[in-house]
Order: sequence, then C-alpha cells, then structure tokens
Amino acid sequence: MKRKQRTEILINGSAGLAAALAQEIKNRYQVTTIEEPNHGLVMVKVRETAQKSLFYLGEVFVTECKVQIEGCMGIGILKGDEPERAYDLAVIDAAYEARLKETAAWSVLLQAEADRIADERKAFAAKMLRTKVDFETMDTE
Amino acid sequence: MGYVAVKGGTFAIEESLKRIKYERVKQKKVLDVDKIESGMRGLVDQVMSESGLYSETLAALAIKQAEGNPEEAVFLLRAYRSTLPRKHYSKTVVSEQMLVERRISASFKDIPGGQILGASTDYSHRLLDFDLIGETEAAVSEWLHEFEHEAGAGEKSLNQDTDLTRLPKVLDYLRKEGLIANCPADDREPDDVTRKSLTFPASRSQKLQILTRGQTGAVTSLAYAVIRGYGATHPTVGELRVGQLPVYINNPLKPSEDEDEAYYIGDIKVTEVEMLMPATVEREKGRKELEFDIGYGLCYGQNETKAIAMSILDKNLEKGDQSIPTQNEEFVLYHIDSVESTGFISHLKMPHYVTFQSKLNDVRKTKQVQSEKAEGGVTYANPI
Repeated sequence: MKRKQRTEILINGSAGLAAALAQEIKNRYQVTTIEEPNHGLVMVKVRETAQKSLFYLGEVFVTECKVQIEGCMGIGILKGDEPERAYDLAVIDAAYEARLKETAAWSVLLQAEADRIADERKAFAAKMLRTKVDFETMDTE
Repeated sequence: MGYVAVKGGTFAIEESLKRIKYERVKQKKVLDVDKIESGMRGLVDQVMSESGLYSETLAALAIKQAEGNPEEAVFLLRAYRSTLPRKHYSKTVVSEQMLVERRISASFKDIPGGQILGASTDYSHRLLDFDLIGETEAAVSEWLHEFEHEAGAGEKSLNQDTDLTRLPKVLDYLRKEGLIANCPADDREPDDVTRKSLTFPASRSQKLQILTRGQTGAVTSLAYAVIRGYGATHPTVGELRVGQLPVYINNPLKPSEDEDEAYYIGDIKVTEVEMLMPATVEREKGRKELEFDIGYGLCYGQNETKAIAMSILDKNLEKGDQSIPTQNEEFVLYHIDSVESTGFISHLKMPHYVTFQSKLNDVRKTKQVQSEKAEGGVTYANPI
C-alpha cells in the first residue's frame, strides 16, 4: 500500500491501529529516534477557482517525528498536538522504507480499517444528505 | 528635548497582571479548553481564520486566556506561531477534493448534486433559547442518541448516488456554457506576506492571503460598503461550500512526483465562496457583451459572512480604481488585519508622555503669542 493511502487510513482511523502496528516493530527492532516528536507549521498552498492562481491560505499546527530502523528513515507527521501518534507513524513509515517482513501482513489490517472509515463516511453522507433541499414547484395560476 | 527613559511601573504592572488573572477566575469557575473547543465553534473558527493558524485546540486555549476577546486571542496565536518553525509547504490543495458538509447556490435552484444546507442558522428564528440555561450533559447525550438513530426519512433513493467528495462545481457548469471565460492554470509561486512585506501594486496571492487573514468585521464592513455604493457591483453567490479539505506534503527526504508517495497530515475545515458579478466585456468593433466576473473567497473554519465578503473585495480590488476606497489596494489591505489595526489603535493608550509634552508646549506657545498679539505685542509665532 502506497504512503498516501496508508497515512490517510492511519490518521483518519483509530489511534489504536497505528499504536499496535508500531508496537510490533518496536518489539523486534532497534528504533533510533532522529527527531523527537516536536511542533511546527505546514503552510497550506491552495489553488483558487476564479483565475486558477495559487495563494497561501495559512498555516497548520503539526507534530512531526523522525526515526530510523535498519538504516532507513521514517517520518510521522500529522495535524495537532499528537506526539505519540507522530512517533507511531514514523515507526510504521520506517518499517515500510526498510521493507520489513511484518509490513506484508499489514495490508489486510489497513484495508479493513479503510473499509470501516468508508462505512463511517457513508453513514455521515446519508445523515448529511437529509439536509438536501427537495424543491417542490408550487402551482401557478 | 530628547527622549528620557523613565522607570517605576514594574510593581504596578505585576499587580495589574495579577488583577487580570483575578478577573478571569474570581467566580471560582474553570473554563475547560476542551469545552471551549467543543461548544464555541464559531469563535474558534473566527480566531483560527484571523490568526492564519489552524489548530482548534490552540485557538480554544487562546480564547480562554483572552477571556473570549477575539482580538487578544488572535494576537496570542500570531505571537505563538512566530516561535514555531515552518517545516513544510503543502502540496497544492484543490477545493474539488472537499468533503462537503454544506453547499448552496443563490444563483441556481437546481445545481448538480443539489442544495445541501448542512449546519446553518440561516433558517432559524433567532429566538433566545432559555432552555439552554438548564441544559445537562445527560439530556445532550439522549438527544445525540436520538439524532444518530433517527429512522431514514431523508435517506431517499435520490440521495444514494450523491458523493460528497465529488460534487461538481457551479463554475465548471458556467464555463462549459461559455457564460464565464475559461482560464488556464496559473502555476506562479505565490508571494507570502508573512515572510515579505506587502508591496504595491499587490500581487493576487498577496491580496488573497491578506483578505483570508483579515479581521472578520473589517472585511465584512468594507464589502458591505462596496454593495451600498462605494464600488459598483451587485454580486450573487454562485456557490458557497463548507467542508473538509485534505492536506498533503511531499516526502521531504526523497522528493517524488508520485502523488501516491505524499504524506497526508489531516483535514482542515474551510468555507469557500465563488461569487458571480455581471460585467460588460468589449469585443471586436466595439461590440459589447455581458459576462460574469468571479470573486473568490476562502477562509479557515465555517466563516460564511467573511468568505462572502472576501469574494466581493477580491473582485473589487481587481478593478483597481484608486478613487474608490474599496478598490484602493492600500486602503483595503493595510487596514483589515486584526493585529495591525487593533495593535495600532490600542497602542494609543500606552505612555506618550514625551511626544504629548512637546504638543503641549506648542499649544502653550500659540496661546501665548495670541494673547501677546491681543495686548498689542509684535511677536509672531512660527508656523506649527
């Protein structure tokens, strides 16, 4: 599973999943912390739709962490003050970078979490669409 | 007379700071930050937008410290953000990817995907709800349970195929119809007013960045002035959206063009407005045609009035007639920032003993000259 989808699932899904996957690696490998979880900013670049030009909307407060496993670097970064999850994400990222054998079995778990998130989104959409206006054309003389 | 340094306020200042804390806690009630975050969404969104920093928790903390005063909360957050390193720039965020929570058009009744009201006070009666005085957490839990398990009168078949992350844009429809001009993507890197001071004429990216960080009231008032006559336009909201936008960054260790190798960092809630304004365009041989101009507004949080106002000012500033205040870049962009305007106005109460003393001397001198003249003297004052 590619990083984009993986990080979406691990951040939007339950914190327990990231913690469990990271724990597997921490139990079996030497994890060297390169950068302790720390706070910083990500500047958001957006494309406006009137003239399709770019501008900076503002910054997002993030927590970031870097670790190394078997000589491979992993980064954990997410919105908010989340030092533990940033560390877990960094460990998981490094595990994929180092192609550790444990990651092979994770696809199933990540897919299951993705399905759960999709179900949640579906329920959210169904609820949200109750506010969709159903226009009725009134009789005219 | 030169400036004279004075001291002596230290003790009084320390006591004043104690006093401000006393005012916050004197009723022996502690306002939890998570309660502010969960129950004061409107203020949290306003403060995040005006400070240009997205963090609901930090905004709630700033609101607590500022006792609910938005200008002070924004000041606190701007000061805090200046202590943090900017680690990354996001990949370009596009609003087509928004997970929509609300989406309406004032221009078209039947828009593809439909009018989705979401959470809005627009249709409420504005009657003060006295029941909220006695609201309990148990009653709220019960209401939530009922809300979440409501049987599905709304889950009609017509809604099944509406994907809230793929709603078509009203503008795209108008572009296809040829009612608004199509334009190619402009990939010029934006300017950043937090790194390099604003210069005139301002670039589009500078204008939009200052408008999105602008003080809600100031942005709204100037846009209102545009419609009342200090600017010539009558806008209609083509589309207003509120929803979550995903933010991604490139791999900082191994930059890659592969979109799938990006890091997702989370969603941000924003309000986006695309405003339509009729405009006359001159074609060949002086033939005139009516088209639509578009004004653009986008800001953090659910700040609909501000996003609408931003879109009006955006288009108005593009016209650039310096004789109209709301089309004058310097007039608009230099005066709508919360920290700059409130900072300058409130600094007027800080000690100005020396400068005021010199003004006082001038006033005394003039009076003295005037009275000497009245008594038949011959001394003339220097012009002040």
